[in-house]
Amino acid sequence: MTDVTIGQPVRRSEDERFLTGRGRYIDDINLEGQARAVVLRSVYAHARIKNIDASGALAMEGVLLVVTGEDWIAEGFGPMPTKTAIRKNRDGSELSEPPRHCLAIGRVRYVGEPVALVVAETDPIARDALDLIDVDYESLDAVTDAVEALAPDAPQLWDDIPGNLCIDFELGDREGVEKAFAEADHVITLDLENNRVTAVPIEPRGCVGSYDPETDTYLLYNSTQNVHAIRDTLAENVFGIDKEKIRHIAPDVGGGFGVKNSAYPEPPLVLYAAKKLGRPVKWINNRSESFLSDTHGRGQTSRVQLAIDNDGTFRALRTETVAGIGAYCWTIGPFTPTGGSARTQGGPYDFPVMYYRSRAVFINTGPMDPYRGAGRPEATFQTERIIEYAARQLGLDPIEIRRKNLMRPEKLPHKTSMGLNIDCGDFPKVFERTLKLADPGSFAERAEQIKTAGRRFGFAIAPYLECTGGGPKEFAGVAFGADGTVSLSVGSQSTGMGHETSMAQLLAARLGIPFERVEYHQADTDKTPIGGGHGGSRGMELGGNAVAQAAGEVIEKASGLAAHLLQSKAADLTFEGGSFKDSGSGASVSMVEVIEASFDSERLPDDLEPGCLDTGSTFERGEISIPNGCHAAAVEVDPKTGAILLLGYWVVDDFGTIINPLLADGQVMGGVAQGIGQVLTENIVFDDSGQLITGSLMDYGLPRADGVPDMVIEYYEGAPTKKNPLGVKGAGEAGCVGSLPAVVNAVLDALKEFGVVHIDIPLTSEKVWRAVQDQGAHDPKGLIEGAL
Amino acid sequence: MQDFEYQKPKTVTEAGDAFNAQSDGSFLAGGQTLIPVLKQGLAMPSGLIDLAGIEDLQGITATESTLTVGAMTTHARVAASPEVQKAIPALAGLAGGIGDPQVRNRGTLGGSLANNDPSADYPAAVLALSAVVVTDKRRIPADGFFTGMFETALDEGELITDVEFPVAERAAYAKFPNPASRYAVAGVFVARVDGAVRVAVTGAGPGVFRAAEMEAALDKDFQADALEGIAVSEADLIADIHASAGYRAHLIGVMAGRAVDAANANVGAA
Ligand SMILES: Cc1cc2nc3c(=O)[nH]c(=O)nc-3n(C[C@H](O)[C@H](O)[C@H](O)COP(=O)(O)OP(=O)(O)OC[C@H]3O[C@@H](n4cnc5c(N)ncnc54)[C@H](O)[C@@H]3O)c2cc1C
Repeated sequence: MTDVTIGQPVRRSEDERFLTGRGRYIDDINLEGQARAVVLRSVYAHARIKNIDASGALAMEGVLLVVTGEDWIAEGFGPMPTKTAIRKNRDGSELSEPPRHCLAIGRVRYVGEPVALVVAETDPIARDALDLIDVDYESLDAVTDAVEALAPDAPQLWDDIPGNLCIDFELGDREGVEKAFAEADHVITLDLENNRVTAVPIEPRGCVGSYDPETDTYLLYNSTQNVHAIRDTLAENVFGIDKEKIRHIAPDVGGGFGVKNSAYPEPPLVLYAAKKLGRPVKWINNRSESFLSDTHGRGQTSRVQLAIDNDGTFRALRTETVAGIGAYCWTIGPFTPTGGSARTQGGPYDFPVMYYRSRAVFINTGPMDPYRGAGRPEATFQTERIIEYAARQLGLDPIEIRRKNLMRPEKLPHKTSMGLNIDCGDFPKVFERTLKLADPGSFAERAEQIKTAGRRFGFAIAPYLECTGGGPKEFAGVAFGADGTVSLSVGSQSTGMGHETSMAQLLAARLGIPFERVEYHQADTDKTPIGGGHGGSRGMELGGNAVAQAAGEVIEKASGLAAHLLQSKAADLTFEGGSFKDSGSGASVSMVEVIEASFDSERLPDDLEPGCLDTGSTFERGEISIPNGCHAAAVEVDPKTGAILLLGYWVVDDFGTIINPLLADGQVMGGVAQGIGQVLTENIVFDDSGQLITGSLMDYGLPRADGVPDMVIEYYEGAPTKKNPLGVKGAGEAGCVGSLPAVVNAVLDALKEFGVVHIDIPLTSEKVWRAVQDQGAHDPKGLIEGAL
Repeated sequence: MQDFEYQKPKTVTEAGDAFNAQSDGSFLAGGQTLIPVLKQGLAMPSGLIDLAGIEDLQGITATESTLTVGAMTTHARVAASPEVQKAIPALAGLAGGIGDPQVRNRGTLGGSLANNDPSADYPAAVLALSAVVVTDKRRIPADGFFTGMFETALDEGELITDVEFPVAERAAYAKFPNPASRYAVAGVFVARVDGAVRVAVTGAGPGVFRAAEMEAALDKDFQADALEGIAVSEADLIADIHASAGYRAHLIGVMAGRAVDAANANVGAA
């Protein structure tokens, strides 16, 4: 039995289970008598469905059911609405939201869109039956590029949504920016692509559903990040039933990264089939289907403009973005390129004024929804790229101009033009510490050796600003068992991040009880009345604070019993180091003893019952917190081939109070690896007709361990936020936020002697090689001019 | 995936018989290519004849002049083999650079050659070293083995048993890998055997091919500098999202130079 403290690098207790194959993932769940479902997906990016003939499939032995869009509508089921927090166009009107049904109705709008559900005795039978469904399509022109989709003659996805425009959003001070642009010594302009990527969690999506006619209730096991919100959508929007009628459980989830945050069509289809057939139904997506049907992220084209004076002072920042969000508004699809990407524009720099405009556009591709960072990596990339580019254009030192413009701690609290309330932090300190760790001066000799070998050395530093919190409420329940176990149920969710360890650690440390006694539960709508799941780096910020609050309530309740046991007054007791102590008599009793006493009728006072220490507590946050930090990267580039090798990586993060540095490190490393993947090798590519070219891991280049360098990671804990009691700031996405510009700017630094100042991501070896051949020739206004 | 019969013969003869007994049989080696193809329904053989139980197809033997590798020898085993490392270190290095550890532990020399993927590594070694592909019926010289994209000189049901590699005076392989799959985007194997230089290029064209101009230049002077000014035509090269034909043409030149440098360095070290 071990005592743990807050801040201790407690090793992950779930890892033994995961690493020895004892994790219980969605495909490990099998219900008695289950049938198997497979989705028939559109092979066209845009087509009218003239007819669906499923008779061949239905005639096949073992096929139980085929559901089409027509059947779905006939049942009266509703569409799944977007829950974006940004709903207004800049002229005040409402965004355009087409109905998103679980199956295509009369028309398909992307390759991979569900057209029918087939249920059969086995998965192979269901898959074979797909070939026997005859869909008569009439192909229509498709558009997969968002800038092209805004053109007047572009194919139109929705008859009643002119110009394919979902939302036209703005934030900040447009006139102020224009004034600053007129006054500044320079306005530097660069069009940037933020390439479309997908998360590729190691466990594909899947679900198992059943229906109980006696109680008229559904049970849904689902590989998801957000059991409560998705249950609500299914119950209230799709089926029109009471939400208590669906119990939604996520077993161990093998990675989410935002991809499993969306309300997808397959789970309601599965529940419907289970009810219709009177037996459980299971559906598991394979990897190829995942590429087509998982939500993707990033995918923005932007013009970024920086007003800057000769001495390097930043005067204003303006960003105009066009982003394709797929053919429908997904769960928060319209939010990421608008509010999600606006808030942290300008990073930790002192920009007197900023303006952000963005249009979310319907295109004939699969859906876009949050992906780790959901807009903040994009914002940071835009800010840091234009700063680096301006430094190169004006012959300024990129490190110096950053240092010069960082917001000073004296300036805080400060509300930015993007409405973000930065309460605390010390950006210069974090910046200088990162530089000290990386020590670029020490690389001189190595850079020479690298050059002698025909390659080039590059280094860059990228401060970042984050904002985290996600859903604003969270629940934690604590229930004690007579056997000494403590059951902790939290509505936030781990999809691999290690809450089983960190939440238990927090509770054990606060109560002064052995860590091993805590049994952690999550992601079950029957176990917690509310829950915000996983998203927006909210685990510790919301879940952790809920646990801390619940611990406080337990201590409060326990102090009454402790007073009874010590024959003193609760008011005279102090709780420290896991024990209640009477300040007068000096007598003390430990929390463990108090818990034991709570199950012992001899020691319990008459007015208390066993279980009297149990509690359920809902925490509600105030404002979102503002994590920040700084990344630095060192690379070597082979100008003859364009190959890039990362040599070193340094990070200093301000996540406020660190509960478990080991787990925080894991978050940072994973995020950095995903950032490296995006900027170097990952890329979702469609051909002109809307077919996905990068539909397998043979073409979609995930980062590999041998391409990710060792990282030096430190935390600055000098500025815990007062926005929440624990003083924590979200840690889950920051790694992805800082790494995009750090790596790209380091590569460009390596190429400076060739005059290369810009390459759009991903920095494939061919693009790097061509940029060297072209000696930096590039068009800074080459991407979005036509759409402005 | 369609149902199929499964057999695991113990000898080459039994394998041939098993194949002939099937209406549409297929040999199974490491399964790294074949199994995904079956899963996608792109092939529906009536039966699989698993070669894993045939002792004679395993193993590595070396003489002064020839290195013989059994068809069922995995990439991992070739990479780690002291015999290969001594006789033709470039071949061990090539095998160690195929795909990833999982692929190397399953994939085999015979499977790779029979498949003749235009981006595979081994075909470059076989062609540059002028190896002989030995089958249950005959001996096929490398120059006549690779007949096109995923095409070989193998007849229906013909089984590769071994490959005989002449021990080279100098040899090296340089590969520029696809960032996702790690197959070759352009791979060049350079070898000097019995005084004659051969240069084989994989990954860049519709199938492995020899670079005659480079061979002629290196015959005169086996130095990377000798390749300078030799432009590879992009006309017959392939283009995809990872590399245009022009970039592949450029990479062939760079990889050839690096292979020559490595071949000369290998000798220096020995
Ligand atoms: C992720 C991944 C990455 C890869 N990366 C690379 C790479 O970087 N470089 C590279 O070169 N390769 C690469 N490969 C291919 C791999 O190296 C295998 O060698 C190749 O797939 C075939 O070998 P196998 O033993 O798996 O053959 P199988 O898949 O079992 O068989 C392939 C074909 O060959 C036939 N066959 C097999 N053995 C014989 C025989 N003895 N005689 C006649 N016919 C036979 C089979 O009938 C079948 O048609 C990769 C594969 C994967 C899955």
